[in-house]
Amino acid sequence: MICPRCDDQRAAKIFDSPESGAWEIYRCPRCFFTWRSTEEDRVTRPELYDADFKLSEAKIREMIPKPPIVPPEGAASKPRY
Amino acid sequence: MPYGSLREFLEKAEQEGRLLRIAEEVRLEPDVRTISCAAGRMTGGPVLLFEKVLGYPDKKIVMNVHGSWENHALTLDLPKNTPVREQFREIVKRWGRYPVPAKRVTSAPVKEVVLERDFSLFRELPLFRVNPMDGGFFLSKACAIARDPENPSNQNVGIYRIQVKDHDLLGIQLSAQHDLAAYLRSAERLDVPLRAAIAVSNDPIVPFVASSPLKFDDDEYAMMGAIRGAPVEVVSSEIGALDVPAGAEMIIEGEILRHHRAVEGPFAEYPGSYSSSMLQVEIRVDRITRRRDPILFENLYTGEPWGEIDYLQGLNTCATIYNQMKLDFPEIEAVNALYTHGYCTIIASRMRFGGFAKTLACRLLSTPHGITYPKLIIVVDANVDPFNLQQVIWALTTRFRPERDLALIPNAPASTLDPAHLIRGLGTKVIIDATTPVYPDIPMEDNISVDLPADTDFWIGEIQKRMQAKP
Ligand SMILES: [Zn+2]
Repeated sequence: MICPRCDDQRAAKIFDSPESGAWEIYRCPRCFFTWRSTEEDRVTRPELYDADFKLSEAKIREMIPKPPIVPPEGAASKPRY
Repeated sequence: MPYGSLREFLEKAEQEGRLLRIAEEVRLEPDVRTISCAAGRMTGGPVLLFEKVLGYPDKKIVMNVHGSWENHALTLDLPKNTPVREQFREIVKRWGRYPVPAKRVTSAPVKEVVLERDFSLFRELPLFRVNPMDGGFFLSKACAIARDPENPSNQNVGIYRIQVKDHDLLGIQLSAQHDLAAYLRSAERLDVPLRAAIAVSNDPIVPFVASSPLKFDDDEYAMMGAIRGAPVEVVSSEIGALDVPAGAEMIIEGEILRHHRAVEGPFAEYPGSYSSSMLQVEIRVDRITRRRDPILFENLYTGEPWGEIDYLQGLNTCATIYNQMKLDFPEIEAVNALYTHGYCTIIASRMRFGGFAKTLACRLLSTPHGITYPKLIIVVDANVDPFNLQQVIWALTTRFRPERDLALIPNAPASTLDPAHLIRGLGTKVIIDATTPVYPDIPMEDNISVDLPADTDFWIGEIQKRMQAKP
């Protein structure tokens, strides 16, 4: 399964509806996007996913950690921003 | 009588004709969001109870609990038609009774079922995507509880947006100014565990106080006691001795992962726009306690105003700002910070001397909430009800002299969620003095204001009472 948001090929089904056959939930291990099989096409189909909301490995690498990670006391490094 | 749980509140709402049961089967997307948006957007929308959710035979969803002034009044145990300004006054009055500490109990319905392993959050809650471009399924009204690692007697209850990222994994958005972010800084610096408990579906006073901008060491439970007029009952979490609301439907417990951030969001926020996706904190869930099914899942629709969130974070914010400003300036009568979480804030006050409105606007801008949120500040005379926009616009149209009464403060701190920013986190403050000029300012040329008949306010109340008494 391809992640509709970041196009990662490793997205997989993680849950079936308790009432069987109603829907399934899928999840992307890279961007943590989750979606239900019955949602609208612009949510579930990679080619229709809004370009402004698309993610990629490069975009994720550029993201800022919030709040900044504080190293343990005594650790040499400065806070990572 | 204050409510002990969401269920008790729903009973009351139904008695008062403020609960709408949606009996037909609904799809989690888009039906729940569509109907909830409608209920929050209309005037006087009811509480919604979705009784039949496609895929979850044993779960129900509750929406729009705070989503109208009538519902809001009921959550405070006031008559449902209490006017907004009176609800504000009542909240300010009850605020003054702080602290009313929580009462610890040893058993609670929220402990009926205890799950220690092999659970799935997707099985436990009928999660849904609140808005189409949200990055996942969010808990938007759950209250997170944690203790300060450096001072464990200091405990915080707050509403944070929480993304369900896996069967036992949550993402949580902590802004630097939030109490929980300060706890995490300590936990990371000291390299000690930080536990969190997340209370789902509560007595409406719990999210009301959890979304109030209290001071860092204020005790939210003691404020809930003050607002509801009786101590709130709490029970210990399974791990970490956190006090959790005994009346909740479910408590999700876990450990906040130190020195780790991962992709979270986006999520549609109160300005009616999506916040961006960022690397945020994660929580590994290791216990769930809950009531027996059918469980009620309460969540919050957020989108273009107005909606439930505008009511939920409305009068609590107004009362907080009012109390802070009133200490310095007893002339202040009321503060309306309802619009887009205070992006527009209206202050009603008596005037000490000419130019005083600008003093009040500057004081607003130095309150904790006022530093960032307000961008449009309107000051009106004490005889104008700031919650009545007809009166506010009257003051703007007949008192405001733009060449003297308009001030701009460019490049000032601003809400990072304001979609109109040029530089995120900076903006221009607009101060509008719509008060009647007093000495030594130039008086109004034509001082020919019409007095309201003396007993007008009395008769407004009297007419309302008589209309309601009619069969
Ligand atoms: Zn992805």
